[in-house]
Amino acid sequence: MDTTTQPTTTQPSAIEKVLAFVDERVGLKTLQAKMLNEPVPGGSRWAYVFGSVLLFIFIMQAITGILLMFYYVPTADHAYASTQYIIHSVDYGWFLLSYHFWGSTAMVVCVFAHMSQVFLWGAYKKPRELIWLVGLALFGIVMGFGFTGYLLPWDQRAYWATTVGVEIMDKTPLLGDFMARFLKGGATPGQMTLSRFFVIHVMVLPAALMGLAGLHLFLFRKAGPAGPFRGSVEEIKAKTDYFFPRQIWKDIVGMVVVFLSICSLAFWEPIVLLEEATPDPGDYHPEPEWYFLFLFQLLRLKVFAGEFGQFLGAIALPGAFMALLAALPFIDRSPERNIFKRPIALIGWIVVMASILIFTVAAIINREFLE
Amino acid sequence: MTGRETMSSFKLGLSILWPACWTALPIKMAFAMLFMAMGTIHLETKLGITFLMLLMTPVSVFAFFVISLGVGFHFGEGLGLPVLFLLSIPIDIWALGLAARTVFLERLRLEPPASLGVGLWVRFAVAGAIYLPFLWVVQGGATDLARSIIKSILDMDMLKHMPVAERIGLEFTAWGSVALLVLLALTYVGLSILGKLVEGRASAAQPAGDTYQGLISRWDMIRVPADQSLMLTAFTAAGAVLSVLFWAVLPVSTPHPHECCKPPTDAAAPHFDPQKALSKGEKAFKDAELKIAAIEQRAAEEEKDKQKGGKDKAGVKDGSPKSDGKPAQSAAGKPAGSGK
Repeated sequence: MDTTTQPTTTQPSAIEKVLAFVDERVGLKTLQAKMLNEPVPGGSRWAYVFGSVLLFIFIMQAITGILLMFYYVPTADHAYASTQYIIHSVDYGWFLLSYHFWGSTAMVVCVFAHMSQVFLWGAYKKPRELIWLVGLALFGIVMGFGFTGYLLPWDQRAYWATTVGVEIMDKTPLLGDFMARFLKGGATPGQMTLSRFFVIHVMVLPAALMGLAGLHLFLFRKAGPAGPFRGSVEEIKAKTDYFFPRQIWKDIVGMVVVFLSICSLAFWEPIVLLEEATPDPGDYHPEPEWYFLFLFQLLRLKVFAGEFGQFLGAIALPGAFMALLAALPFIDRSPERNIFKRPIALIGWIVVMASILIFTVAAIINREFLE
Repeated sequence: MTGRETMSSFKLGLSILWPACWTALPIKMAFAMLFMAMGTIHLETKLGITFLMLLMTPVSVFAFFVISLGVGFHFGEGLGLPVLFLLSIPIDIWALGLAARTVFLERLRLEPPASLGVGLWVRFAVAGAIYLPFLWVVQGGATDLARSIIKSILDMDMLKHMPVAERIGLEFTAWGSVALLVLLALTYVGLSILGKLVEGRASAAQPAGDTYQGLISRWDMIRVPADQSLMLTAFTAAGAVLSVLFWAVLPVSTPHPHECCKPPTDAAAPHFDPQKALSKGEKAFKDAELKIAAIEQRAAEEEKDKQKGGKDKAGVKDGSPKSDGKPAQSAAGKPAGSGK
């Protein structure tokens, strides 16, 4: 019996051949190594999942948005009817629209969580100032998505939320009047308003978000992750790991949780339209979407009454706050990142979050006094 | 910190319960989603509190039933809700075991004892069943008391004329702060109790003999599956099965439209049968043709009658009238000889 073994030469499979073909031309393996083998100082953490989760939510919003566009008609006389058609007649249309609606809410929540995490971790400090600034611009885009998308169903809620929002914008010095006129396209919200909001919502903002998100990721990969704000050098070194697989797993779990949460909300509270938009509010008390409610309630305070007060509350204070956030990396130059050793930052964050919470809940309670 | 950590009971309880809750949540939520799509869970307004109870099932699994039955709190409707809480038991045992083993190794530098997950789950679930209903009652009472006190203060004459927006904000901040403080204190006590229960298990555990780097490696390996490919395959397969199940049971139309805005209940259009429609059309044409023919015939007869009538009139002048078999009527249309 011949016991000599023949040297086995394994032939590459068809998939391996295709991958090799693409790799030779694109540099797939180098790209994969660059994407996945990035060291994460101190190891993977749940606190780092928000960026990936935001990207996932945006992709899902794009998918559901495209599917909704197959049925939605962006004209003042058909927008409401086509939205009702999506809800009541299109198979699973109620779920798609409700998912898209709650997805926008999840996006705002995750943006707040992501910004809070970066702020508390001190990850905006040198050399990550540009990441922070681009992140702020992305925050503005997310808010813009919420504002423009809210009008599209063309019901009373949509119409009046937009009217309130544009009126607030009108109070901005110099640019306010132009911006309000540009967005409305007439004396009252109508076809021009709907067309402009639709184009901004489905064309301008997605393009801006994709560009800025790409820049945000590029800058992040250039500077590298900031890592934990405390822990000895030995501990951080011992726990340092690559982006794949641990952080990827955490990101996937985070995405699953967010996806399931949005689905649950779509089931719990499927979207329901009010009456079709008319310039007469009737019994409806105009108010903006929940993430602008705190500002709306703030403007009800007596201190913000009158023309100057409204300007102060609607434009000056939020504007100053955003300017402060933009200037933060250049004001706070201390290398200390531990939030427990930055009392002003910690107290400031608690005060801002508590104020947003209190004014939002107060606006909800305030509804009882309007009826 | 690379030395053995001395942890307070509160910190120990928190460092195990917090990751265990979040580790188990995605799996529980997948089942929750499926049950909702099947229509076996209906949550009307208590979503937030039900979510918290689901998140904290390692301690709330029995407390959920105690609060539902004992206090009479209505979380929602449907068989799916209790089934979900019962399903979460094995998931929590796994998650608690995983979280506790990492804490024992990395933070306490102790060898995790055998069946740590089951042991801790029994302790946590029983402690939760006693403590959470207590927390529920105390928290509810404290919140109600704070609200009534704040309301009575703000109803005083000197504060009565405060504008509505200011009053709402002040009232909520005042009672909300009291309620939050009570909740934080009760949570601190609860987590300290859990920490004491963990200490009971830790006191019998052997110190881990590895170097720090060795311990971190072991700790790290606990956090990820030993066989990544197998895990990825299982994860994908489970996701695919759940997705198919989800789409299979997902209602095509809104499961619970609001009372205020129900869709218009138009009767469904009947099925269109071209053969039937054609024969119906043909029949209509034939009927119409027959009707037209009858009308034309009648018109022709009337014409004949008119012509005959002309001749008859001429005949009357000449002789007796020609009867058509009908009784002769007066000009007013009344029978002749009625006397009226």
